[in-house]
Amino acid sequence: MNIVDFLNLLVAAVLLAGVYAAMSVGMTIIYGVLKIVNLAHAGFLMLGAYFVYELYTRFNVDPLLGVIFAFPVFFLIGAGIYWLLVRRIPRSDQPTLPSLLLLFGLWLVLQNLGYLIWGNGDHAILTPRTFSTFQIGPIIFPTVRLVVFGAAVASLAGLEFALHRTWFGRAIRALMQNSDAGRIAGVNVDRTAQIAFGIGIAFAGAAGGLLAMMYSFTPDFGGSFLLRAFVIIVLGGLESFAGVAVGALILALVETFSILVIPSGYQPAISFSLLVLALVILPDGVAGLWKKRQRLA
Amino acid sequence: MKENTAGSKNSVSRFMATAAPLVLLLVLALVPLVGPGPNTIRLLFISLVWITASVAWNILGGFAGQVSFGFAVFYGLGAYATAISLNAGLDRVTSLALAALVGATISLLVGLPTFRLRGPYFAIATIGVSEAVRVVMTNLAVTGGASGYRITEKGAFNQHLHFYMALGLAAAAVAISMWIRHSKLGLALISIREDQDAASDLGVNPYGTKLLAHALAAALAAAAGGVYAGYSAFVHPNGVFGFDISVAILLMPIIGGIGTVWGPVIGAVVYGLVQEELIASFPQFHLLLYGGLLILIILFEPGGVLGLINQLFRFVKARTGVGAHT
Repeated sequence: MNIVDFLNLLVAAVLLAGVYAAMSVGMTIIYGVLKIVNLAHAGFLMLGAYFVYELYTRFNVDPLLGVIFAFPVFFLIGAGIYWLLVRRIPRSDQPTLPSLLLLFGLWLVLQNLGYLIWGNGDHAILTPRTFSTFQIGPIIFPTVRLVVFGAAVASLAGLEFALHRTWFGRAIRALMQNSDAGRIAGVNVDRTAQIAFGIGIAFAGAAGGLLAMMYSFTPDFGGSFLLRAFVIIVLGGLESFAGVAVGALILALVETFSILVIPSGYQPAISFSLLVLALVILPDGVAGLWKKRQRLA
Repeated sequence: MKENTAGSKNSVSRFMATAAPLVLLLVLALVPLVGPGPNTIRLLFISLVWITASVAWNILGGFAGQVSFGFAVFYGLGAYATAISLNAGLDRVTSLALAALVGATISLLVGLPTFRLRGPYFAIATIGVSEAVRVVMTNLAVTGGASGYRITEKGAFNQHLHFYMALGLAAAAVAISMWIRHSKLGLALISIREDQDAASDLGVNPYGTKLLAHALAAALAAAAGGVYAGYSAFVHPNGVFGFDISVAILLMPIIGGIGTVWGPVIGAVVYGLVQEELIASFPQFHLLLYGGLLILIILFEPGGVLGLINQLFRFVKARTGVGAHT
């Protein structure tokens, strides 16, 4: 492999990592605050894809604008689902059997509502952007991936800002670090959890829209990305935002470069192998490694 | 014999625990002799396979509280292992034993890295494993890849033979489940489910116990897949490793009553009967209904059908004043 191919793959991997991070960050927030694994994440990724698709085909709304619309819409959906379902299950500092099963059931419902509404055919969002590329020197940038990367990074920066500069952001981080201490300090746990769930779902919907700009999709669309999101947040240590970025980059690099040696049919097996590997070698994720070093120092 | 309300309840449950299963087994064993049509026997056969898988899932998910979303892996690998062994000329019982062994071995692959850790890792890994295995089996040339794998039948097709194999396996599964429930292993599993720290303070080894329960459950699920493969004589990766198989195996014990001996059996029978009707009329719709059902059960009656029956009993008792000693 010459250096140009290598650089092209590297660029592709970094661009992919952006949307992977956006897709996983919602899961991290929800896990961090509520300590539940949002198995319905895949369903919301799929709904986000169809949301952007419908806006584009019916009202000719640019997919990028559609993704921006997806944030408030999915935030409200998430907050509603929290109120309707999630708040009714017992709270715990570990994922409980009811929470896993409830969200799994929700995923089944969403996925099959998708089948009911859109059928099982492939849909795709094709804009003039989709197939255009531009070159800097020998390196080729697909325009749509660059746009998606930009949108993903912008949304993550917005989240970072909200978490550090707003009262609710601080409340969310407080609950992620220590929910009892947060409660004592006057954080309204139920309200904060609702907002956190809403933000998590908002990111799932928006990330689904971003993914839909790059790939074709069916109602089963979210499933393969669900596993990827798991791998990323496990690599990142489940509750760390910086860890999500690192995890997304690792997965994107492994997936992109593994094409050279492993047949593409085995791609889903790669995510799983990486997950098992991460559990054996880095059970606390990359963030755990960092903490360990800090402790040693 | 002294009769009080608690005592009569105990004797009823003792009867349920010993005599009723044997009577049920006897009745089922006699069914083919009465001469029902092949379709009835097929339905019974499938229900028995589901019962085995459902009881298997419950050993890990119900007793130990470890939710697995990927039991299709064991079901499917058991089906493949049986098919390959049968084609290699082994007899049916040995093939099933091999399938169970394969299931137990593969269960370690998921259990060893994930049970060591606290948190949701096991459940997460099981979501990935069935997808990964399905993909590998779809691409694997030795077993025919995506076109599936056929068993070459040596004798004439004997439906009763398959029925009795499924009945024997289901009876074994229920017996194992009953034994676990009343053994030290069962107590250890339940204590892990309720409070892992307390369990481990009392001398339970959570890691080893969970691994053992997972291996037992996987072996039974694999044998169930094997019995099914022997009947259908054809194994297809998208069939036996399908997402809906994992959903079914998880849903049945929850419908019936998770963490009990008879709940998974009831759930499997209900599921088996409803599935036949549903899948014919709503090919996509059935998973939607199952998802909704799962949500409703978790929110309103986590005890499933058995929980409902218990509530009904309590309601009737309160109404008629029987046993109302307060």
